[in-house]
Amino acid sequence: MSSKLRFSSKRFLLTLMLCACSVILLQNYDLSPNASFTFNLICVASGLAICFVLFIPAIIIKSRTNLDFLTVAAVKTPRLKIPIAVFYSVYFIFTAEFFLLPYTDMFRKKYYYDVTPCLIAALLLITCVYAAIKGVNVITRFGIFLFAFAMLTNILMFGGSLGQMDFSLNTFELTGGFPDYIRNTLYFVTPAFIAVLFACLSGKTKNFRIRQTVFALIFTGVKYALVLFFIWFALGAYAQRQEYQTFLLSRAAHFSSFGGIESFYLALATMSVFMIISLMLCAVTKSVKRESDLKTVIIFVVILFAAHACGTYLNSVKEILTNTTVFVIFTAIAAAVIPSAYIFAGRKSNARKALHNITMS
Amino acid sequence: MRAKLCIILLCLSSLTLTGCQSSGKIETASIIENVSIAEDNGKICYTFYTLTGGDKPWGIKIPASSFESACDLAEREYIPNLSLSKLELLMIEDTLVDKVMKNDIEYISTQPSFSPAALVTLCDKKTIEKFAETTREQNLIEEQLILLKNNNPEVNISYLSVFNNFESDKNSEFTVGYITCGEELSVNEKKLKKD
Repeated sequence: MSSKLRFSSKRFLLTLMLCACSVILLQNYDLSPNASFTFNLICVASGLAICFVLFIPAIIIKSRTNLDFLTVAAVKTPRLKIPIAVFYSVYFIFTAEFFLLPYTDMFRKKYYYDVTPCLIAALLLITCVYAAIKGVNVITRFGIFLFAFAMLTNILMFGGSLGQMDFSLNTFELTGGFPDYIRNTLYFVTPAFIAVLFACLSGKTKNFRIRQTVFALIFTGVKYALVLFFIWFALGAYAQRQEYQTFLLSRAAHFSSFGGIESFYLALATMSVFMIISLMLCAVTKSVKRESDLKTVIIFVVILFAAHACGTYLNSVKEILTNTTVFVIFTAIAAAVIPSAYIFAGRKSNARKALHNITMS
Repeated sequence: MRAKLCIILLCLSSLTLTGCQSSGKIETASIIENVSIAEDNGKICYTFYTLTGGDKPWGIKIPASSFESACDLAEREYIPNLSLSKLELLMIEDTLVDKVMKNDIEYISTQPSFSPAALVTLCDKKTIEKFAETTREQNLIEEQLILLKNNNPEVNISYLSVFNNFESDKNSEFTVGYITCGEELSVNEKKLKKD
């Protein structure tokens, strides 16, 4: 289904930015409770600075070749095609689970306790199959709609929380230790998975500029800062008592007698997770095949579903699949280490010539 | 033709997703709108008022030592399909402040089904009695509390702000709403000492 037409890089990075913003939507008590708002702001800045560093190899490859990393790797080192495909497939499956498991968990805990998490996962994955077959271009078009919806939800969520603000009980003081800094910064590095998506799916984008990446990360940082600000000053100590604090923020938001916009929040979280998993499926099929096809997508969806079922019923599996440290290390390897190796090594003349031919075509 | 057939099939299949199968649950569910806590013959009683369109409120009085045990007891023996997600107002008799208020608010703060923006206020015994008579009084109290908050932002009228004040180390006392009943209901402020 995917065409040879190139689509706007701006649109692609807008989609990736929305994916990065969804990390804070599914925030489940991953931040240290000892850290204050100002301390968390420093962690956000540090985390997103690391994200930008992890973006650099993909940016260099895109700027030099106007191709995605997987294509470059396939041309430069045809012998390593299978190990690369296996590594990135495992990475994308892991990342999809990293978001799918907290989402189904949140749905069950906050909305409907009796529902089977696998049922929600199955329904979501079926829609993701359709989106993945349609390709990245179509998903990024959906990103424009989602951006508008996200703006509306955020305005309602933050505007509705203004009445709850309390600056007498919560202040801007800087509290938190080094372990808190490490823990929180690691959490704020998780949006770096968009660097891997960019590295693997940016082959068909045009008019790429480095500033687009910078804007995407700055906007993500602003969103995180706003969410943290309102959680700290509008919810205060109450936020520490429950999981999924952003959900709680949406529930506490109210305009006079109209209160609670958790349905908007759920819709935004659902669409964000849908978009992430669809992009993961696009990327995973791209890592094993050049073009996405139904058969490959279905195989990976079955694997995803099986991993989700294991994660739901086996707590040890869930702990691994939702471990931030493992995820960040995995992301750093996928986004920076392997692409950097291709930048600095393997400069064979034949490979460069082949690459040049592909770029020209 | 194939597309039309697909659309018709999708529309028909969507009927199975409407939740009609468990619609009985919605009809029979007891959605609690307000809860009052008062002392009755030396015992603490939690009265659960269900959501109703009529003029007369319908409440179930449950003697219990805390809100948590009252909810458990209510679900087990009185209201099998108890739903507290729409709870709008918690009224506490002023004589019970020290016994129940902090513990009950703490319990509420751990429950994801409760809205943090729901209202909580103190009141005298007569107000609790009047509260049980008409739904008009219940709506009036909510409106008056919101007006009180608008006039004086220092007053804490929601679970969220009351819990945060209990938890904070920065104050030794805070203000909550206090409703008294003479000939008419009157909404005032009352300072609560944390100790």
